[in-house]
Amino acid sequence: MKFYYFHLMPYIIDHDEPSSWVTLSNRHYDPALGHTLYNQYLDQLEAAERLGWDGLCVNEHHQNCYGTMPSPNVMAAMLVRRTSRAKIAILGNGLPLRENPLRIAEEIAMLDVASGGRVISGFVRGISAEYFSTAVNPTHSRERFYEAAELILRAWTEEGPFPFDGRYYRYPYVNPWPRPLQKPHPPVWCPSQGSSETVEWAAKRRFPYLMVFTPITRIAQIYGEYREACERHGYQASRYQLTVNVPIVVAENDAKARALAEKHVMWVFNVGLRMHPPFWRPPGYMTEASLRRLLANPPKPPSELGFEEADREGYLIYGSPATVRDKLRVFSDELKAGILCSGMTGPSHEQTLEMMQLFAEEVMPHFREDARVDETVGVGR
Amino acid sequence: MPALRELSIRGTPVHMLQDGAGSPLLFLHGAGGGGRWLDFQTQLAKAFSVYCPSHPGHGGSPAAEWIEHVSDLAFHYLDLLDALELERAHLVGASFGGWIAAEIATMASHRLASLVLIDPVGIRVDGWIYPFLFAMDIPEIVTTVFHNPLAALALAPPDQSAETLALQYRQGTAIARVAWNPHLYDPLLRRRLGRIATPTLVCWGAHDRLAPLAPCGETWAREIPGARLRVFADSGHVPHLEEPDAVATAVREFCRLHGGLR
Repeated sequence: MKFYYFHLMPYIIDHDEPSSWVTLSNRHYDPALGHTLYNQYLDQLEAAERLGWDGLCVNEHHQNCYGTMPSPNVMAAMLVRRTSRAKIAILGNGLPLRENPLRIAEEIAMLDVASGGRVISGFVRGISAEYFSTAVNPTHSRERFYEAAELILRAWTEEGPFPFDGRYYRYPYVNPWPRPLQKPHPPVWCPSQGSSETVEWAAKRRFPYLMVFTPITRIAQIYGEYREACERHGYQASRYQLTVNVPIVVAENDAKARALAEKHVMWVFNVGLRMHPPFWRPPGYMTEASLRRLLANPPKPPSELGFEEADREGYLIYGSPATVRDKLRVFSDELKAGILCSGMTGPSHEQTLEMMQLFAEEVMPHFREDARVDETVGVGR
Repeated sequence: MPALRELSIRGTPVHMLQDGAGSPLLFLHGAGGGGRWLDFQTQLAKAFSVYCPSHPGHGGSPAAEWIEHVSDLAFHYLDLLDALELERAHLVGASFGGWIAAEIATMASHRLASLVLIDPVGIRVDGWIYPFLFAMDIPEIVTTVFHNPLAALALAPPDQSAETLALQYRQGTAIARVAWNPHLYDPLLRRRLGRIATPTLVCWGAHDRLAPLAPCGETWAREIPGARLRVFADSGHVPHLEEPDAVATAVREFCRLHGGLR
């Protein structure tokens, strides 16, 4: 199994406002503290490479305390020059949120060239709330996503200049300098919540599928749908196309890990993902078919998720190194996920680094049967 | 009881309620108001032949992917007038329907005997930004739209079934498609209002919190040549739901004065 260190770069605060997204006033943001946090978080990502993680993940979110990386490419740029081995996975850029998605093709190519071909490019639509904070019309989201993806892939793979005349994006000259180093282009991943349209789209293009913060039974179901779709398109999914993001807490013993998980992981669900209900469901963001599937089995809002339920449903992993190994076996052996994208949060920067070291020494080596495999070969392109 | 008519307007299916006798009157509903025959329509049907189509994606009319702009809806209703062989008609539009009605009037005043706009949105008003409707939950919408919250019961959903929720989502999607950004207006429309050559009555709820009388109602009355402004003292954004008799009476009187139809 491959291990990628996933960072949200949260701004951890408790507050009583109804939403941690869009409307939570930025008066709560202290830039001096932000300076310390950004540098600690980047230190953690850099440490992850030293400790043996295969990849480092950044991501895009806007106007919230859950994740303070509105531009993931900026963070990736800092990591490119401070690391030398690890893949740098940008999970991802919100394609429909951009008015000029050619800029994404350019920035990823810059990072790919500068890093010597270590970049993985996530393509996402952006979560629902982001359509409120960017004012992009959510009813255009899906079409803009497909169109921007096509534009970027063509910009990376076809010799320029060529004209592009889409419904949302139009260019008389597509001819970005630089071109990406990886051929035919940097691997593309699709982090998603499991809409069947995205599963189909990703499977058709061999783009790895990443499930973020999802209960285990749902991961199993979506992986099944993805594998089926791959077979329909005439190939068998590589295990490195099946990626999972689950928060992990590891400590000397189960009790200690549980106490940390209850406090720090549950903050992500209960506070970080607290949202004014209309922000979850902007009109037209989902197809009506997806909406009906959701209504048939309505998920609980993360802000109402209790620890016992989160534990039972497999929203998180915690325990002693031995317990964490056992729980990870479910992902590696039963779900057959090839890549684990997980971050860790301790009570302080130092304790987070200690937790990472414990994981790297006591857990990771037990899953290294594929140490010599390059997980990006033939995957995502 | 109104009759339900199922039409196909240049390939776009439309559900339309129709009742009454007299001069033809086309009523364009606001967000969430499709497929309902309320007191207001009953009152109008005493004096007019009332046509009440549901916008694409509303009520029983399926969503129409080709609609990208409010002017598409305006052309859609000009097509509807053609299909019904109505050379001229009175046009009444409320809120979002008022926006469509105003677009129609800028294009084809000669097709209209009179124009009544009830708390329309659709223009950029100096000194006012419409509160962002799509971020409101139901209680916030009721507080913003209604002065008399009891009047909101007329639009209350029958249940919370998947069917009802899917319809609400479809309706919200149809509105968002043309009104998310710019929110609730067409930047080009305000200047074009000067083209309207139809006698126009602008009705406004004194307590409209979505589009307040000052500055919104006053701007509309100023921009449309010769428009009359009539204020309804006990209404918010939807006087035709909050004071249906008074608004229907005002519409009847105005159309009689300016009708040009026999």
